[in-house]
Amino acid sequence: MNAKWMQWLRRIVQGAVLLLFLLLFWEAQTSLSEDPKRSLQLFFLLDPLVLIATWLAAHAVPALLLFSLITLGATAILGRVFCGWVCPLGTVHNMASWLRRKAGRATAKLGAWSGWQRAKYYLLAGLIVMAVFGASWIGVFDPFSMLYRSMVTALYPATQYAVEDGATAIYVGDPHVGPLHLKDATEPAYKFLRSHVFLADRTAFLSGSVLFFIFVVAVALNFVRPRFWCRYICPLGALLGLFARRALLRLTNEPHICTNCTRCAAVCPAAAQPQKPGEWLPTECFGCWNCVHVCEAQSVSFGFGSPFRRASAGKLDISKRALLASMAGGIGGMLMFRLTPHAQAKTFNPALIRPPGALKEREFLARCIQCGLCMNVCPTNALQPTFAEAGIEGLWTPRLVPRIGYCEYECNRCGQACPTGAIEPLSLDAKKKTVIGLASFDTTRCLPYAYGQNCIVCEEHCPLPKKAIYTVDTEVTLRDGSTRTIRQPRVDASVCIGCGICENVCPFEDRPAIRVTSANETRHLDNQPILQGLEGFDLGGPQDVYGATDPYGGAADPYK
Amino acid sequence: MGMHTRRDFLRRAALAGGAMALSPFRAGSAQETKKSGLIDMTIARWTGEEASEPEQIKALAERLTEKAINALGGMNRFVSTGDVVWIKPNIGWNRRPEQAADTNPDVVATLIRLCYNAGAKKVKVGDNPCNPAKLAYANSGIEAAAKAMDAEVVVLDANRFREMSIGGERLKQWPVYPEIVESDLVINVPVVKHHNLLKAPFTACMKNYMGVAGGERGKWHADIPPCLCDITAFMKPRLCVLDAVRILTGNGPSGGSLADVKRMDTVAAGTDIVALDALAGELLGLDPKTLPTVREGHERGLGEMNYRKLALDELSVA
Repeated sequence: MNAKWMQWLRRIVQGAVLLLFLLLFWEAQTSLSEDPKRSLQLFFLLDPLVLIATWLAAHAVPALLLFSLITLGATAILGRVFCGWVCPLGTVHNMASWLRRKAGRATAKLGAWSGWQRAKYYLLAGLIVMAVFGASWIGVFDPFSMLYRSMVTALYPATQYAVEDGATAIYVGDPHVGPLHLKDATEPAYKFLRSHVFLADRTAFLSGSVLFFIFVVAVALNFVRPRFWCRYICPLGALLGLFARRALLRLTNEPHICTNCTRCAAVCPAAAQPQKPGEWLPTECFGCWNCVHVCEAQSVSFGFGSPFRRASAGKLDISKRALLASMAGGIGGMLMFRLTPHAQAKTFNPALIRPPGALKEREFLARCIQCGLCMNVCPTNALQPTFAEAGIEGLWTPRLVPRIGYCEYECNRCGQACPTGAIEPLSLDAKKKTVIGLASFDTTRCLPYAYGQNCIVCEEHCPLPKKAIYTVDTEVTLRDGSTRTIRQPRVDASVCIGCGICENVCPFEDRPAIRVTSANETRHLDNQPILQGLEGFDLGGPQDVYGATDPYGGAADPYK
Repeated sequence: MGMHTRRDFLRRAALAGGAMALSPFRAGSAQETKKSGLIDMTIARWTGEEASEPEQIKALAERLTEKAINALGGMNRFVSTGDVVWIKPNIGWNRRPEQAADTNPDVVATLIRLCYNAGAKKVKVGDNPCNPAKLAYANSGIEAAAKAMDAEVVVLDANRFREMSIGGERLKQWPVYPEIVESDLVINVPVVKHHNLLKAPFTACMKNYMGVAGGERGKWHADIPPCLCDITAFMKPRLCVLDAVRILTGNGPSGGSLADVKRMDTVAAGTDIVALDALAGELLGLDPKTLPTVREGHERGLGEMNYRKLALDELSVA
């Protein structure tokens, strides 16, 4: 096939895959009234790095992750076409690199091999050694995690702010020339976007600006070298590079035809040395066909080679010393992660409220790839990326922040969405019985305790069929000496599941007067201070939302 | 029944004339309005065979609603051709209809149909829920029911609340949703529920108006009766419909357990919000005279606490 056609075919595939990525992202946060589909995890299921990390760190292989073997198989035959044709983050970098090339002159220097390209292999080695010891930091660098996380926490919210606040500013300011009002144009567009695109409520994330900044830097680095991330950093690229060493799809540059014009090097996004006959680097090449297209002498071409003959290709020259150093670095990093009282399970961070179904902390960290899918499907914006709450090891893993959102009683989406099983896919009934924390009153602030006012907003919102917050009418003496009966709320620790709605709705917007901590969480027996079974409390055990009877008596549910 | 101003009187007179001229139920209401002029309140109670299947309960809710509105003089009494109507159910919670934490979707759907039949240009349905709006709208069944009736289901836009001058005793300024206030008619249609507020152990029509307000509404709880009276006076209710097909008798207002749900198979409608709230209290086994919001509403002239003093029509529907 003509090289120009191959380039266009690649661009179409890249665009289509990026669009699919965006669509799945959008569907994850808008299909709120149905259970998340497995297809939302698609990209993570195709990611062999996730498979290997989960297998090494958690000694488990979620069956669907075996799909990623397809990626490895394809790489063994076609080389790193995954990076060049499929990876949506690669496509984003590709677009930025294209801009860079349009902005300045393409020179061979931009496509020159650099020894620093070995860095990604060392990074991969370090991460894998870390994973062997149960510390999975793969997700920090994994391209899908990186892109998805950035979209959830920064790119999508930023877009939504811009549209909503922009339209509202025009609506409120009402700029007009005579009878022509700008809002007459923006309001219908805004209404359309609200009812068709931005279906979910606005979100905001802690560390969102940090993650935004990291993403912007990663994209801006394309101006230093095209596909900087893919060339120097991406551990998935490195893994695929290892599998591409003997790939059958090979590039040949005929030494007696090549005129050494180095135009191919100037357009090579991967610095795979197409310009040096016999020294092409299959571990780096994305199979993008740029070099073939640009070669006027028609010296450069792709073709399938025999699996029994090695390609004449350049060597990567991975340094054994550097490899050992990076593995030692992985062990050192793992030890550094674990040198905290929390990691040693001597203490529990009260602010580390994990989503319902989260495994025990160590196992959870071994599986979580920090992708942010759970945060995307959470309907209340409650799940937030950690920064330091779970130690460096748990960077950007999900935690529930009740002040921002709460665990919706009738929702189990995070566990259903999690691609690695770090959050168990609990049934709704099981989820309703899973304790993630415990509420407690700050009686120095709570209105009925501290200020002699009735309130009970927390009690009103408590979603349990038999409320975990109950009230006791108490006579309090006011400043003028008069007395007043005040309804004071209390928490029944045998019922509270720590969903956090009480903290979320407390009229104190700065520091709520009822706060939820991780105490009592089901997943850690050591973090359960309350002896269950005491007389005088409701200890009916787990509550059934429908009571004893089946609401439909087996009849069809008219509302589903 | 309060006729306070000349304008009110004129409006009522015009409405009465309009209803006489337009209502297709004119013939029937001649006998129904035997007491004096227009009916103030109707209570439709189901006396037919006991409904247990979901479809039967749906049919019952629709019939009760239609009968209650018709006996009140028909929807034409309230809706004029070309009107934009906002139906304000209680969609506070992400609960299912049978849990009785939200207004019955079939009552809402029937009201939408009646409004369109009366010539409404657009019927909108929306609330400011406590749980995520998308979930509450979907699980309450109201979104599907309203869309089937061609109503616009509006998810309130947190950006668009506007501070309005309430001019009340307690509430001077408060953010209210403009699109609701700007509608030609707001139909307040709450479900009757238990509540644990010391000064309002129940929630019905007046408390349902909390759903037009934004901001930190929770602090109204510190002194709920004047706050509810203030927002009620601001909203100037013209038509309220009380959904008591199922009522929530405990663990309100969010409920959850079917053990707390009681079937009353009743829908009431009226122009007097205090009267309807008094009835709601009675349905929950409370004496209206002990309910501070009802008493204060009565004292402030927002309505008549003793609803039996009104032009009342009690219907048995089968």
